[in-house]
Amino acid sequence: MFDRVEAFVRDVRGLTTEDELAQALAEIVEELGFRYFALTHHVDVRRTSTAIRIHNYPEGWAQWFDEQSLGSSDPVHRASNVTSIGFPWSRLPELVALTDKDRQILQLARRHGIGDGFTVPAHVPGESHGSCSFACAAGERMADEHLPLAQLVGAFAFEAARRMRRMRFSPGPVQLTDRQRECVMWAARGKTDWEIARLLGVSEATVGEHLRHAYERYGVGKRTLVAVHALFDGTIGFLDVLRR
Amino acid sequence: MTLIVQQGTAGPPADRAIRAMFEDRKSVFVDLLKWDLPVLDGRFELDAFDNEHATYLIIADEQNDHLGSARLLPTTREHLLGSLFAELCAAAPPSGPDVVEITRFCLSRRRTAESRRATRNRLVTALAWYALETGIRTYTGVAELAWLQQVLAFGWECRPLGPPARSSCGTIGALAIEIRPDTPALLAANGIWDMVEPAISIRQAA
Repeated sequence: MFDRVEAFVRDVRGLTTEDELAQALAEIVEELGFRYFALTHHVDVRRTSTAIRIHNYPEGWAQWFDEQSLGSSDPVHRASNVTSIGFPWSRLPELVALTDKDRQILQLARRHGIGDGFTVPAHVPGESHGSCSFACAAGERMADEHLPLAQLVGAFAFEAARRMRRMRFSPGPVQLTDRQRECVMWAARGKTDWEIARLLGVSEATVGEHLRHAYERYGVGKRTLVAVHALFDGTIGFLDVLRR
Repeated sequence: MTLIVQQGTAGPPADRAIRAMFEDRKSVFVDLLKWDLPVLDGRFELDAFDNEHATYLIIADEQNDHLGSARLLPTTREHLLGSLFAELCAAAPPSGPDVVEITRFCLSRRRTAESRRATRNRLVTALAWYALETGIRTYTGVAELAWLQQVLAFGWECRPLGPPARSSCGTIGALAIEIRPDTPALLAANGIWDMVEPAISIRQAA
């Protein structure tokens, strides 16, 4: 079975369209004992034109999912934000606290014919989180012995989709100056302009100026948002913010 | 900022960048990742492969302090995929004079996230540059699966060498990376390519 995965990895490198990738995925997931796949960025796809979303889920399910804007709140997506290794859906309750709504979603998926599944998280620093999920038809048994291979297929498929996206949209990264970055880091740690000014030995007006420029570069107007953006693209790290 | 290419090592080194590299390696692989590795003098992570056959690519700052590094092992001698991790390869592990194994890819924890990301890009660039300079066509390595997506996103050509497996240091897998004349362009298209001026000559172990 590994040679089949090797061939998949080789083939997807030459693909140029998402339809071709969907076709290749549909073929290999069947050989790995699954019926469905869904390769997606964890965002509301109706609002984010650059987001990746390729799947062969039943039509009714995908439409309901999008209408509820579940891209970022789906329990499987939330779970894959807290791990970097593929997980079977049976482990969901260990990874995230399931709410009543989550249980309803999982039940509804089953009613649409979606059974057990396995999700490979896809995290690239500075980009939206994503994942590649594989699901059995309801009532069918998942082939546990193929899960390590599913992990590889998910990772290489996600990179292929990412490459296709990049060729269509190529946004340049946001660059902050060292001083702007320091101010954003302290702001993320909850310091006021006055406190940051004392810490850096500059005037309060200068700090305000640095932060305003950082807002402009990210196209946001709030302290919290600039901190979230800078954390998200790796300009500042969680450890910089959480350090005591 | 310099790129140091160091051939081999002879015991606990006097050079600051190299000493700091072994200290940072302890901090990353022993203290943070909890790998079961030998530690010298309670400070340096050094093992049997840190010998005269290893080559180190080191990114150092103006004060000759270590920012990040990787250890390259020839596959014509004993190396990790050829011995400890051979079962990760579906077929025989790739080997030969133009196949080199990347081990101990390390970014100093004493730096900020932004600095580590810049160093990562410079180190990946240095690996591609060094391969093209010295005729290496394939890098192999054992990677923790948690890093796989990031390694693929550099844009260079990777392929798996076998199914991943669980180990004491997480789920790991064997990878091969093909280095070709178009590799710098692939890295550049992903915003990775960032060449640091290499130190004048390739240094030999004392």
